[in-house]
Amino acid sequence: MRVLVLVFVVLCAVLAPAAATAQDAAALRREIEQLQKQLQSVTERLQRLEAQPPAPAPVGPGAAAPPAAPAPSAIDLARPRPPYSLYQQRGAGQLLFDMGIAGDFVGNITQHNVEKAQGGTFAGQENRFFPREVELSLFGQIDPYASAVVRIEAGEEERGGDIAVHLAEAYVTLLTLPFGTQARFGLVRNRYGYSNEIHEHDLPWIDRPNVMRNFLGGEGLNEKGVEATFVPDLPFYIEALAGVFNGDNETAFGRTSLRAPLVTGRLRTFLELGNEHALQLGMSVASGQTAARLPSTILGWEGRYKYRPDGWLHPLVTLTGEALYSLRQFNVDVDADGDGVTDSLDKKHKNRWGWYLGGEVQPWRRWAGGLRFDWSQYPENPGAEQSIEPYISFWPSEFLRFRAAYKRTDRTHRDGFDLNGGSARTVDEFLFQASFILGAHPAHPF
Amino acid sequence: MRRAILILGAALAVIGPMLPVASAADKIHVVATIPDLKALTEEVGGNLVEVESLARGTQNAHELEIRPSLMLKLRRADILIENGLTLDSWADVAVQGANNPKIVRGAPGRVDVSRDIQVLEVPSTGVDRSMGDVHPLGNPHYSLDPGMAPIITQNIVDGLARFAPEHRAAFEKNRQAFLARLDEAMTRWTKAMEPLKGAKVVVYHPQWIYILSRFGLNQAATLEDRPGIPASPAHLTHVIRQMKEERIKMIIVEPWNDLKLATRVAEEAGAKAVVLASMVGGVKGADSYIAAIDHNVNALAQALR
Repeated sequence: MRVLVLVFVVLCAVLAPAAATAQDAAALRREIEQLQKQLQSVTERLQRLEAQPPAPAPVGPGAAAPPAAPAPSAIDLARPRPPYSLYQQRGAGQLLFDMGIAGDFVGNITQHNVEKAQGGTFAGQENRFFPREVELSLFGQIDPYASAVVRIEAGEEERGGDIAVHLAEAYVTLLTLPFGTQARFGLVRNRYGYSNEIHEHDLPWIDRPNVMRNFLGGEGLNEKGVEATFVPDLPFYIEALAGVFNGDNETAFGRTSLRAPLVTGRLRTFLELGNEHALQLGMSVASGQTAARLPSTILGWEGRYKYRPDGWLHPLVTLTGEALYSLRQFNVDVDADGDGVTDSLDKKHKNRWGWYLGGEVQPWRRWAGGLRFDWSQYPENPGAEQSIEPYISFWPSEFLRFRAAYKRTDRTHRDGFDLNGGSARTVDEFLFQASFILGAHPAHPF
Repeated sequence: MRRAILILGAALAVIGPMLPVASAADKIHVVATIPDLKALTEEVGGNLVEVESLARGTQNAHELEIRPSLMLKLRRADILIENGLTLDSWADVAVQGANNPKIVRGAPGRVDVSRDIQVLEVPSTGVDRSMGDVHPLGNPHYSLDPGMAPIITQNIVDGLARFAPEHRAAFEKNRQAFLARLDEAMTRWTKAMEPLKGAKVVVYHPQWIYILSRFGLNQAATLEDRPGIPASPAHLTHVIRQMKEERIKMIIVEPWNDLKLATRVAEEAGAKAVVLASMVGGVKGADSYIAAIDHNVNALAQALR
């Protein structure tokens, strides 16, 4: 038995390296064959390219090369032609990223009282025409693993004031993370609800909906931090987002510290009902602390429906709606003995909400008309406001757009809209907008 | 023992139906930006690939709306085949939303089939938007020319073989079989178009230069004032006068463009407005690459005869 075992061990010791060598040789042979095939493919490609005539390559013997064009007529010669050449090779002098400029000019006309109270849609800029946002965008790949976007904005922020230039966005997106994830860090317009991440010139209306301005401020949620998305491998589309930010937004948060960060989240799904109908639904949350170190949470719901008849270049009907619900704690002065002096501070919860719903019809490629209805409470002050805003848009080309709107706002209270003895309880405004795009601009998402 | 057999039987009954799914899952998931590239990839990939297209044949491939459903298609893709030359730059936005590192720009799964194409209408001076929506790298509609199919399919073979080198021979075999069929069709098309060489046509959008050059036809004017810019009445009047003077018989219209306007202009000029398949699936019956070219050649021959 011992002898048998010994023989077996010796055989194993001898045969194992031999088997490994044989495996190595087989792998090498396969590799060489692969390389030979690749070489053959490259050689064929080279031969084909060398044999190519200046005209497009014919399919084979059955294909004739394109004939020379007949001599141009006098009309041909007289006609202005674009500066085209044929068959020119590409490659030289390419910029390694894209850049574009978007300009957005807005104007409004309203009552004198509203101007005094600074209670119009563009508070402090009533009865003026001004550059709201002129944006320089630079975007492209950093390397095979990441892309970057930098946007610098200039605009008139105060009545007749200097044009202020600031960094609107600057972020890096890590594209090659595992398990269907992607991360973004820097200064970003938060993907919170539908309209928050859209820049002013890309909005489907002239102004941001009242509820967004009341709850998140005129600039919206624009924060510094990190956010990550996860798209699971499912038969339907769902995107989950989570983010951590400083909480610099003064209207809703304002704690400005990662010790008590602003945490955001969003779930977005999409239903395609045939080729013509599409519906996007989502819900968002942003939770942090206010400057007074008190908790503030805003919940959001969004929906967007589009009906685009087959073959149309634009949707015929678009419906958009969002609702926000704010849960916030405030310090309230307590005058226990009624002497008019605050004796202590009490904490009080205020839950407020608001929503908007908009519909747009675009029967022609260059023209669209729509209506938006807004209803919103104020996060701190009592009362509510409602607006109705019909508008019309005209695009002379894809890169230029004009828009005009009438907006009627009714507020339940005058408080907060009564500066300089004016009143903005009822506001009638004519709004107009001219927007352009110069150079590159990324495609618009749904 | 009986119990063991029962468990085994039940397990087989559960797993059995999954087996074909597993086989489908083994296929290479390819997404093409436009239907022409989907059709050509299917010809090359055969039953080794499963191909989806982001755009439909009746859509304008220049301006695709980025729906999350496109991101869903890209989420599972092993390979993304794109036309390039800025026609389908919108794919970048969809890829960003898909969270799939295999197909981001620069990854091996990203295949630009415009490599080695001899591009027409490359701007030879500086361009700006006063010239309309000009493609700065040249006219990107090369897939409409069947003469470009050998180069496109070679690029597809290379892209697929990068992902699955063990199938290169099979892809190459499929490609050769397809090119043989295309050769036969090309003989037929060339014969049909031979008597029409030198004929002039008006196009709605300037995307037909490759197929027109292939068969010796001349693009005399465009209905659009400039690429992507709707025609002014003055421009249309000029085109009608030109069509009458030069006896132009045909206006080529894309399935997504304004056929009514083209028909009105054609009637004024005593010509016909004909819808051609700007991509596979653009018109009824054009459901494969060869069928789409077949439709276009027959429509051209009929209208110009």
